[in-house]
Formats: sequence, structure tokens, C-alpha cells
Amino acid sequence: MNVLVLLSIILFALMAIIGGKKGVKSFIALLLNFVILLGTVLVMNDPNANPIWLTLIACALISAISLFYINSVNSKTVMAFISTIVTLIILLAFIIVMTDQSMIQGFGEEETDELVVFSLHIGIDFVKVATSVIIMGTIGAIIDTAISITSPMREIHYHNPSISRKELFLAGIRIGRDILNTSTNTLFFAFFGSSMGLLMWFKDLSYSFGEMVNAKVFNDELISIFTAGMGVAIVIPIASGMTAHYLVKMSKKNNHAK
Amino acid sequence: MKITKKQLIIYALLAIGFIGSIIFVHHNQFFYDRPIAKITNTSDVDRTDISDQNDNKDYIVTQQIKAEIQNGAHKGETIDLTNEYAGSLAVDQAFNAGDEVFIAIDDEDFTGTIQDVKRDKYLVLVGWLFVIILIAVGKKQGALSVISLAINAVIISLALDIYLQNSDRSLIIICAISIILFTVLSLLLVNGRNEKTYTAIIATLLGTLSSLVIAFLALLVTGEEGLRYEEMSFLSRNPQLIFMAGLLIGSLGAVMDVAITMSSSIFELYEKNKQISLKDLKKSGRDIGKDIMGTMINVLFFAYVSGSIPMLLLYFKNASPFGFTLSMNLSIELARALAGGIGIVLTIPIAIYTSIFFIKRKKARS
Repeated sequence: MNVLVLLSIILFALMAIIGGKKGVKSFIALLLNFVILLGTVLVMNDPNANPIWLTLIACALISAISLFYINSVNSKTVMAFISTIVTLIILLAFIIVMTDQSMIQGFGEEETDELVVFSLHIGIDFVKVATSVIIMGTIGAIIDTAISITSPMREIHYHNPSISRKELFLAGIRIGRDILNTSTNTLFFAFFGSSMGLLMWFKDLSYSFGEMVNAKVFNDELISIFTAGMGVAIVIPIASGMTAHYLVKMSKKNNHAK
Repeated sequence: MKITKKQLIIYALLAIGFIGSIIFVHHNQFFYDRPIAKITNTSDVDRTDISDQNDNKDYIVTQQIKAEIQNGAHKGETIDLTNEYAGSLAVDQAFNAGDEVFIAIDDEDFTGTIQDVKRDKYLVLVGWLFVIILIAVGKKQGALSVISLAINAVIISLALDIYLQNSDRSLIIICAISIILFTVLSLLLVNGRNEKTYTAIIATLLGTLSSLVIAFLALLVTGEEGLRYEEMSFLSRNPQLIFMAGLLIGSLGAVMDVAITMSSSIFELYEKNKQISLKDLKKSGRDIGKDIMGTMINVLFFAYVSGSIPMLLLYFKNASPFGFTLSMNLSIELARALAGGIGIVLTIPIAIYTSIFFIKRKKARS
């Protein structure tokens, strides 16, 4: 049997046993996200399609599935969704400039051996593709952080309906600070795990420090880690601010209605 | 908001570090042995439209470049360079005035070829922005995150050095030791010394171990069918070992995240209501676990799989069959994501039972 099939079956069984109905739903959401990712890559094949717009649409779909399908449409998931999208747009502007300036797109010279069989003149703008890769790598972590902030904020507001906007905002920031470390750690190890081979390569081929810090693949990995970390950090004030504003406004409105 | 003297010193040090290092990377050309040239002028002399054997339309531009050498014997002299790039920029670059590049100088007629781009200044800038944003948002916790990331990076680098110098020692054992170090240090640093942290450490280690065992057994049972090691990039070592080591390290962060979330919430429930029954604690723990497992697996999945997008595009554009492209480019990443997912899910009950074990001990003592 194929390893991937076996691992998928094990994962599905575990999620169903431990997570029950929600576990099954989460597994389906994972499959849907995979399909969206593949679909995005297939559409990117069209040279007239702009990879950045495609990525934004894909990220909106992925967030919608991860938030609305697994949970439901309510104030905490809607706020998490909006703050994810706002964070992505801010991050995107930064990443577009960075990938363009640092020229980390495409493939490094270390990879050219395996590329000889391919035609590299395929009419797709790899600078935009690089931007889309970084955004896609971060989207999971941003959604995770956003929902981890908006969900307890709603609880706090529910238990203290008279809480002021500023206090609620600060509560959100405090929650965010507590999870900042573990979220950046998660991303950091994930990227590190997948670039173990690259690190050994650099050490085995005795790259000098100067060669390493200027190499395309090394910069690509590190800039991805750093921007992903920034994404996780800036979603904290965005999600806290928007949720505080929305919840306090809604409760004022309701009071007036009474 | 009051700013204490200590904070003021820290901010001042950060500002000095930031400004100093930015100035340094813009003027560090003399540190490099390879000649560096700063491009002063470019002109496109030729543009040819081409299409390859799969009818992909692209164009190739030839640039004439004038650049000023920044270091070495020819410092200050102007050199002529030629650059060719394709519109897709998959392996080449389009240069503009102001870019700095590493060049090889042909002494005979004093012309040069561009070898690589000087990227250190961007790396340092992004690194600092990361540090500044983390500290601005997270204050003390942000600073702790930066420190623990730095410590972990040093440990990884040292562990790899030890492995590469003594290849007779197993990479898995070295990884196992590093994982224990990562877990203990990261969690102690964030959470301090208390039962919550001990629970998270034990749950992380058990969760990682069980996902490793399951992944290993799955590979054994299936004879690794469907894993395409040949497409792993940058191989200078045994790919199976690198795959397993990457799998262990890669899922560690996510497993730690789950373990600390679970133990913190279960202990908090207990602290708020010491009369709470173990059964209720278990149930609440499971509810929390259900909420986080999907998004956590998502985090790993996207962090792993997104890196394959450029290769996927290249395969598709070169008319590779769909299934072949997927199995060549995604099998390793998907296997890692799935194994990591298994670790995440298993950590949930492990963390619940470890927390309950410590809470029972606490109850018995009081």
C-alpha cells in the first residue's frame, strides 16, 4: 500500500476517534484545502493569470473553510476571517517589495542540476510565484492565531458585557502575547524540518558564511520564516482591535434597542 | 504608559543594533573575497520572443551593464557586464541601477560575469523587522520568542555539526537529544518552572515519540511505496535519514503548541474550581482538543506544501502528467504533514492524561 494512503487512513481514524464529528469535519476541511491549493497551482499555469490575485482568492477560500465550515458563521469566526484577510493584505505589500528587491524567486543554483531536463522559459512570473509561496506558507498560522484571539475575546465580552473597548482590546493583546511564542515556534520548526537537507548541504559543501548569507535558497528560507513570524505578530493587534470595536459597538446598539 | 530605565536601555540598545547593522551590511564589501560591483547603469540591448517545445511563450532580454567595483584590487573602477534573463526569471535576474552583485573578473580584457546577488542587506533588514515587530507586539513575551528562536537555531546548527563530523553516530539519536533540549528549553523559557510546564514537556516528548513510531511502522509496512526521495532537493546525505529527522523536528513546534495549550487550559480549569471532577476535566480537555486539532494540522500542512508550488508549476508547464507531477513533488511533504498531524492528534489525549496524573498527585498532597 502507498505510504501516503496508509498515513491518511491513520490520521483520519485518529481524528475521528479523538475529535468525533468535529474531527471528521476537520479532516474534510484539510482535504478541501489541499484541493484548493492544487486548483490554485493549476490556474497559475495560465500565463495571463496573476499569481498574487489567485493567492488572495485561494487564501480567502482556505480561511472560509477553516473558520466557517469547521465552526460556523458567528461573530468570532467572522472577525477572525476579516482580520486574517487584512493581515494578509498588509503582509502581501511587504513581501512583494522584499521578493522583488532580494531576488529570491525561482530556483537556486544548487537546484540547477535537477532542472536541466526542463525548459525554464515558461512565461510565468516567478517573482509573483515566490510571493504567493510565502503567503501560502503563512496562511495556516495566521488563521490559527486569529481564531485563538477572537474566540476568548468573545467569551470575555460575554462574561463582562460592560467592558470598555480599550480594556477588551488589551485583553486580546494579552491573549495574543501568550500564544505568540508557541505560534512562532511552530512555524520555525516546520520550516527548519523541511530545510534540514539544505542546512546539511551547506555544511557538507563547506559554504563560507559569506556565501551562505547571500545564497538564494538560504535567503528564501529565512525570509519566509521571518515574514511568517511577522504575520503571526501583526494579526494580534489587528484581530484584537477589530473584535473589540465590533463587540462593544454591537452591545451598545443592543442597549439602545432595549 | 511609563517607561522604566531598564526598558529605555533595552530600546536604545535595539536601536543602536538596528542602525549599526544596517549601516554595516551596506558597507561590508571589504569583508568579501569575491569582487562586488554596484550597478550604475543598465540598458536593454536586445529582446527576443521565444517559445519552447511546449509552446510556452517567453522572452529573453540582454542587458548591457556598467558597474563600479566596490572592493579588492580594482576598487573604484568601472566594469562592463553583460546579463541575459528570461521574462519568467526562474533562474536568472533582471538588474537595475543600485543593485549589488558578486562578479568574476576576466583580467585579460577587464570584463566580468555576474555570479550572484548580494542579498545580505535584505536578510538583515527582514530579520530586524521581525525582531522589532515581535517585540512591539509581544513586549516581554515577544523578546522571549526571539531569544528562544535564536537558541533553537544555535542548537540545530551545533547538532548538525556534531552529526556531520561523526557520521558514525546516528542522526536519529542526535535529533532525539536535540528534541529533548528544544522542548525543555522552549517550554521552560515561556512558562517557567511549574507543573503545567512539566506536563507539556512530557506530553510533547511522548507525542513526538508516538508519531515517530507510527511513521516508522507505516514506512516499514508499506516498504516506503509512494515516497519519491529522488525529488528531495539539496541532498548530500542519505535521504531516508534526512526525511525522518526533518519529520521529527518539523512537527515538534506544532506538538509543543498543542501540549502547552492543552495543559494550560486543563490546569486553569482545575485552579478555578478545585472541586472539579476528573471526568469533567477529561471532557473539557477533549473539547479544547477538538477545537485546535484542525487548525494546527493546517498550519503544518501549508508551511510544508507551499514550498512545492514553483516546482509543480515547472513540471506542469513542461507537460508532465498530473499524477507523476504530484507524486514527484508532494509525496515527501505530504508524508511529513500527515505524520505531523498524527503527532498533533495523539498529543491531545496524552496531554489530557498527563495533566490529570499531575492533578491527581496535587489532590493527594493537599
